[in-house]
Amino acid sequence: MIKHLFKLIWNKKKQNFLLMTEMLVSFIVMFAIFTLLVYYYQNYNRPIGLDYDNVWNLGYGSPQGMSDADSIANFRESIKQTIISMPQVEGVSFSDANIPYGDANIGTMIAYNKVNWPSEMYTADDNYQKVLNITLNEGRWFSKIDDASREKPIVINETFKERVFGRESAVGKIMSDAAFGKGTMKVIGVMNDMKDKGDYAGPQNGYFRRMDTSNTGGGGIILIKVKPTADAAFESRLYKTLSNLMRNTSIDIKHMDKERTKRNTQLLGPIIVLLIIAGFLIINVALGLFGVLWYNINKRKNEIGLRRAVGASGAGISKQLMGEALVLSTISLLVGAFFAVQFPLLNVFNIASGTYIIAIILDILFIYFLVLVCSLYPGRQAAAIYPAEALHED
Amino acid sequence: MIRLQNIEKVYRTNTVETMALNSISLNVAKGEFLSIMGPSGCGKSTLLNIIGLLDAPSKGEIKIDDQKTDHMSDKQLANFRNKKLGFIFQSYHLINDLKVLDNVELPLLYRTSSGSERKKLASAALEKVGLSNRVKHFPTQLSGGQKQRVAIARAIVGNPEIILADEPTGNLDSAMGNEIMDILQYLNTTEGATIIMVTHDENMAKRTHRLVRLFDGSQVQ
Amino acid sequence: MLKNYFKIAIAVLKRRKFFTFISLFGISFTLAIIILVATFLDYVLSAGYPDTNRNRELYVSHMQLNSSKNHSQYNGGPSFYFINRYVTTLKTPEKIAIFSNSSATNSYTNNKKKVNNLRYTNDKFWDVLQFSFTAGKPYGKQQLDNAEKVAVISEETSEAYFTDDAAAVGKYIETDNVQYRIIGVVKSLPFSSNVYADMWVPYTLTKEDLKNTGLMGGYSAILLMSSKDDLDKTREEYDQMVSKVPMQDKQFDQMFTFADSYFQSFIRSMHLAEGTNSGMGIFLSFAGIIVLLFLLLPTLNLVNLNISRIIDRSSEIGVRKAFGASSKTLVYQFVIENLILTFLGGILGVVLSFVIIQVANSSNIMPNMVLSINFNVLFVTLLACVVFGLLSGVYPAWRMSRMHVVTALKAQ
Repeated sequence: MIKHLFKLIWNKKKQNFLLMTEMLVSFIVMFAIFTLLVYYYQNYNRPIGLDYDNVWNLGYGSPQGMSDADSIANFRESIKQTIISMPQVEGVSFSDANIPYGDANIGTMIAYNKVNWPSEMYTADDNYQKVLNITLNEGRWFSKIDDASREKPIVINETFKERVFGRESAVGKIMSDAAFGKGTMKVIGVMNDMKDKGDYAGPQNGYFRRMDTSNTGGGGIILIKVKPTADAAFESRLYKTLSNLMRNTSIDIKHMDKERTKRNTQLLGPIIVLLIIAGFLIINVALGLFGVLWYNINKRKNEIGLRRAVGASGAGISKQLMGEALVLSTISLLVGAFFAVQFPLLNVFNIASGTYIIAIILDILFIYFLVLVCSLYPGRQAAAIYPAEALHED
Repeated sequence: MIRLQNIEKVYRTNTVETMALNSISLNVAKGEFLSIMGPSGCGKSTLLNIIGLLDAPSKGEIKIDDQKTDHMSDKQLANFRNKKLGFIFQSYHLINDLKVLDNVELPLLYRTSSGSERKKLASAALEKVGLSNRVKHFPTQLSGGQKQRVAIARAIVGNPEIILADEPTGNLDSAMGNEIMDILQYLNTTEGATIIMVTHDENMAKRTHRLVRLFDGSQVQ
Repeated sequence: MLKNYFKIAIAVLKRRKFFTFISLFGISFTLAIIILVATFLDYVLSAGYPDTNRNRELYVSHMQLNSSKNHSQYNGGPSFYFINRYVTTLKTPEKIAIFSNSSATNSYTNNKKKVNNLRYTNDKFWDVLQFSFTAGKPYGKQQLDNAEKVAVISEETSEAYFTDDAAAVGKYIETDNVQYRIIGVVKSLPFSSNVYADMWVPYTLTKEDLKNTGLMGGYSAILLMSSKDDLDKTREEYDQMVSKVPMQDKQFDQMFTFADSYFQSFIRSMHLAEGTNSGMGIFLSFAGIIVLLFLLLPTLNLVNLNISRIIDRSSEIGVRKAFGASSKTLVYQFVIENLILTFLGGILGVVLSFVIIQVANSSNIMPNMVLSINFNVLFVTLLACVVFGLLSGVYPAWRMSRMHVVTALKAQ
């Protein structure tokens, strides 16, 4: 039977060509959509890796009128002491602008064994781990011990560790700053990934360097872990106190949980628009497919009548027509899958192969489902054709 | 009027060659009413299509009105058919989406003529076939005989010199068939149209001036 | 002839209602999306409140510094120093507005927190941009020079603090730990505006060091010319001025900054730009590919439907050919029929998008944004209709015209 269907399709290849092209394009469009959905779903399921509740980000500009390192370090220390002495505060950490759910990304290259790796770069002090409740897989976080170390201490994330070192232990390894070719860095710990760019962000290489509080350049962000009881009144008091302390710069306070929600909506908005558009495209394609199949049946009443006359049952006819549609879609899917498979093979966009493969499987099932649904009714209709009536037409 | 010389038509598929017409030569004089007969598959429709310039012969030459028709472009052929030829088909081939009058106007659309003139000519043609009262109907609302009369009106609306009819009575009962033949005869005698008709029916053929019989692509009479 | 095409097209559409529905659904939805995108882009890019003089303005909002030694590149806005020291020396522009990037500040009144986005501006800012004041007035040169702590606020901000706009003027808002006296209230801006903020205050009040001579910073300028004809002259003058600016920082050896039209500056902000290349080419080709891909599926769909319809109408094709229609005429007929269908879909699409826009406007999904379909958008739609109609009509028409008369007449 399958062979017979292939023959039918082959003999009408010209008519079927465009139909197959349409299925192919639908497959490709849906491949993009499914890849996106699977990718985001998988990312959503990864652990967040940080505790954003009750963390406030206090942004400040570069402290003016202070040029020597010592006075800046003292200035920062006094700010820290002021904040930590407040009753509602549980912890304080200094960071640069690249904080979870923040507006800044800082990308850099870092080398190991002369191989360059692109990586996100974070800067944080000794208290950062506690404030955000980050967990370590290996080694330790920054501490006073590092003051004396010859190499700059760094903490890398699990994804980065796996990519660079595989199963080996990373602690103690020496890496270097690729952009300037100098400066050696020693891995002192491996942390679990944190989804700091939003709940739908994918795994990314990342490493932390230790904050130098005497650094004169730029402002930064202070992360403050507050008690759950901290309210707007307290925030207002905190703001006042710090504004008076940092007279020469503007400061602002944001709540990390709200920034996270904002990040997520920023990403979900376009995705929803995309899904709506894709949905309409699919309805469009489905209606079109349905129409074409329906028409084909009307055109082939003769043939169907003849088949009935020579002994095909109604169900048989209906099965045959659906079978034809499925064979057509199979050919399109084979071509489409050939293109789609190139994505995991060539590792495009740095997305895991598994994601692509799941997307391809879902896509194939989806297109089959679509074709089946669209050919169900025309097939039934064809089954209802009476041989006498159909043959009379000519 | 029409001169066919050694017309051959061969249909080729990958493996088989079928000779549909074999060395046909035929002269049709102006004002003649000619019928072509033969069993199914003898090539009579092919011959009519070739005379109607709908199909090109594989070999041989057709002259209509002393004009050679090979080497004519698609546009020239279209124009030639439009001016000189009128077609009538067994299954009428009316456009179901158009009303009777619009169907009859069709050949005039491919000439330069105003809408009112088209309407006038089409109405006149419908009057000749006795269908003036069905102008606003759609073809699906007509009987077979009426449909064929509309088709005849369409064939004569452009005032062609030659009318080609492919089994015009094939789908009709004998009473209706005779009606159609009456109209064709009238067109031949009164209007002086040259008519070539393919038919199955000896009785219809008897009402024409001359009969050509085909068998397996060759002329036998 | 055209009338006849129209007649048959309508007849065909009426007889095959299901197909007409499918075709119109696809066309109208496709065009509605094009209309919505065009309306949105038109809204964002064309002149609108308060920036109504866009056709005679140029924007300085991008600064790129390159270091060929380190192969590094820094992108950002120009500094206040660069604009104040160099850009304001330009002779051709009539007026120059200077404003900072918006910075979020916090205000706590009665233990309720409000985030106020602040922009620091010069006095000309109020001349270049056509704000409509619901109460009070803007600050002038004297208030700027004296660094008076005054502010113009948006209606939204006014509503958050006070009972009505008139009552707001003269009152104080404390934000960023500074007490600002309100001297004016303006109609709120949509968030897409290039000068959007909750409060505008004199630049002399900034806590930043305005004497910093770095070239990069967080400021922008709008150059307003007295007429459109001066645009090119200003661009030339700007480029000349830039060529004479000394590089303060020895780390960098190349500087790129331009006086752009709004669209150019919009593209430049997407970071496709590289040196003198504005990124326009990349943007347009990207946009083109996306539009084509988006159109591909509905087009293929319509092509398939059209081909099915043609096969259904082979008898008609045969008859027309027999009675003297040339292949070319038939192509015309079918393409025109398809265009008629597309335009019907286009009208539906306009209606559909009109409804969607009304719903979006009234639900205030995008704050202060009032979209409307205008002539530019309708023109784009018309163009899209033609392109879509031709794309989906030409191939089936060609197939139809090539159909052999004899076979066309046989197949019934």
